[in-house]
Amino acid sequence: MVLADLGRKITTALHSLSKATIINEEVLDAMLKDISVALLEADCNIRLVKQLRENVKAVIDFDEMAGGLNKRRMIQTAVFKELVKLVDSGVKPYQPVKGRPNVIMFVGLQGSGKTTTCTKLAYHYQKKNWKSCLVCADTFRAGAYDQIKQNATKARIPFYGSYTEVDPVVIAQEGVEMFKKEGFEFIIVDTSGRHKQEESLFEEMLAVANAVNPDNIIFVMDATIGQACEAQARAFKEKVNVGSVIITKLDGHAKGGGALSAVAATKSPIIFIGTGEHIDDLEPFKTKPFISKLLGMGDIEGLIDK
Amino acid sequence: MLSMFKGLVGSKSITIEDMQPALDKLRDHLIAKNVATDISQKLCASVAAKLEGKVLGTFDTIAATVKTTLNDSLVQILSPKRRIDILRDCLEAKRNNRPYVMTFCGVNGVGKSTNLAKICFWLIENNFNVLIAACDTFRAGAVEQLRTHTRHLNALHPKEKHGGREMVELYEKGYGKDAAGIAMEAIRYAKEAGIDVVLVDTAGRMQDNEPLMRALAKLIKINEPDLVLFVGEALVGNEAVDQLVKFNQALADHSSMENPHVIDGIVLTKFDTIDDKVGAAISMTYITGQPIVFVGTGQTYTDLKALNARAVVHALMK
Ligand SMILES: Nc1nc2c(ncn2[C@@H]2O[C@H](COP(=O)(O)OP(=O)(O)OP(=O)(O)O)[C@@H](O)[C@H]2O)c(=O)[nH]1
Ligand SMILES: Nc1nc2c(ncn2[C@@H]2O[C@H](COP(=O)(O)OP(=O)(O)OP(=O)(O)O)[C@@H](O)[C@H]2O)c(=O)[nH]1
Ligand SMILES: [Mg+2]
Ligand SMILES: [Mg+2]
Repeated sequence: MVLADLGRKITTALHSLSKATIINEEVLDAMLKDISVALLEADCNIRLVKQLRENVKAVIDFDEMAGGLNKRRMIQTAVFKELVKLVDSGVKPYQPVKGRPNVIMFVGLQGSGKTTTCTKLAYHYQKKNWKSCLVCADTFRAGAYDQIKQNATKARIPFYGSYTEVDPVVIAQEGVEMFKKEGFEFIIVDTSGRHKQEESLFEEMLAVANAVNPDNIIFVMDATIGQACEAQARAFKEKVNVGSVIITKLDGHAKGGGALSAVAATKSPIIFIGTGEHIDDLEPFKTKPFISKLLGMGDIEGLIDK
Repeated sequence: MLSMFKGLVGSKSITIEDMQPALDKLRDHLIAKNVATDISQKLCASVAAKLEGKVLGTFDTIAATVKTTLNDSLVQILSPKRRIDILRDCLEAKRNNRPYVMTFCGVNGVGKSTNLAKICFWLIENNFNVLIAACDTFRAGAVEQLRTHTRHLNALHPKEKHGGREMVELYEKGYGKDAAGIAMEAIRYAKEAGIDVVLVDTAGRMQDNEPLMRALAKLIKINEPDLVLFVGEALVGNEAVDQLVKFNQALADHSSMENPHVIDGIVLTKFDTIDDKVGAAISMTYITGQPIVFVGTGQTYTDLKALNARAVVHALMK
């Protein structure tokens, strides 16, 4: 499973509570230190990690607390809550509506996996009998249109693009309009990779968004990213109305914690994760079941909602 | 009052405990700048080991001493122990009537193909002609991506400007074929056609993907390129360590040679996307001891730079 390494380290740290004979500030500090190191090794944003540590300490008041068992539970619950907060934006993801066009725009840094994930997502909905299609509004990257064309052809997904038109706004608008007329339900618009340091690229993204007026904008983030994630994710959110996150490349070893800070920065939920280069390497993502699995727990919902 | 003077007078030698607060702060600082956690820890530990027992100068504070020491070790890590002079080596190969061969490898989407094209542009500007070998036979559009670059590069450097000589050619056999075999054919073709340099593009692969890592090792083993470049993006976090360790490991394990050809150098891409979070440069050089040969700083052909170690350390310590 993804992030298994992180889960194991956190679980071990939590178990240190059960082993300690008395639970005092020292034990708590040691445990929090282990958890922090685990999160940092998984690339979680260092500011968020410090915050997590302070938040847990803030709810535990050793002078006011009674018996040992209670302390353990309180500390564990506090840690769970904070971990969930890290991954859970608290915002409900956009739910596409059948029988009418849903326009979904993909944005993200260069090479994060947008184009690959576009096809995966179109395929995912196509298998569930949605009329889905792809619009290639990347006129910058060499071979971008061929990439979508080959992927879509293989999966028998209708696509729209151009070898000659250089303005992504024009292509996006024409493609979406055409597919809307033809009664498509799931219309995905792929865009070029970009980064916050290049203002013209961000303006272009805004122009495409304004032209197609998407129902949802998906921010695609690569699981190997480190501390630069937060600033980039926040900048994307400030420019366009990002509503969901997809984390890619979670197959293999990827630690994925850096990408998690995209959730906090965009205040948007993770809806899918990418676990490979093939078209069906896409898994729906649900926060709380994910965390309980991560920590090897049964139902953490019960624990947290008290 | 007395305790105030202790640090200033400096008659006492430094202990680890004295340094701990300053070390902790620096470690967190490095982590925030995207140096891998484990490496941040090790760097601070080595600073502590270097300073323990030393006596501070009259006007030195512990924090400043720790910082200067770390600064120096960072510069040292980034300063190449070995110079890679590609242009010289290309000339040398040319004199021996054979093409100089460079292979680009790395995980998915880091910028292998784009920076290969930038390096191609740089070689052409230095009057070498190039064959690009399209050995990513997996990812959709990979061949067309290189064909587009080939066309652009030839338009920028038309034959007419180079005595009727075509400066870039693409060697491709489409998709689904064995990459190592295509590389071999390309190198043979370049030799026959008298082409100066062969740039071998490979498919992105995750370092844990055993079959794909084995295939890369095979490509390198049978083709014996002059230079194996690992392409890594400056955005990468702790994963940088694992990528480099495992790429090197795979090249060593699957080669069955006494002196396996592992990574010779690093191309650090997307340096324009990270502001001052330049830590990946440290993580990558610390792990391999190999130089960063090129830095990618954008998406056009001229966005290719040499690493300035002092500037990177300055950004890191700021
Ligand atoms: N292993 C793995 N590779 C992936 C995954 N998703 C995408 N990739 C690979 O990542 C690389 C980049 O993917 P693209 O889809 O081209 O990325 P992009 O964001 O569209 O790139 P630009 O358009 O250039 O910004 C390709 O080699 C993909 O095959 C994944 O979940 N796992
Ligand atoms: N900002 C920026 N983008 C870059 C840089 N280098 C490459 N890119 C972009 O990163 C994306 C991926 O580049 P590719 O060259 O296709 O990456 P790759 O490693 O060949 O990808 P795969 O072959 O799919 O594994 C493209 O959008 C490039 O334009 C760089 O230095 N800075
Ligand atoms: Mg793309
Ligand atoms: Mg490539």
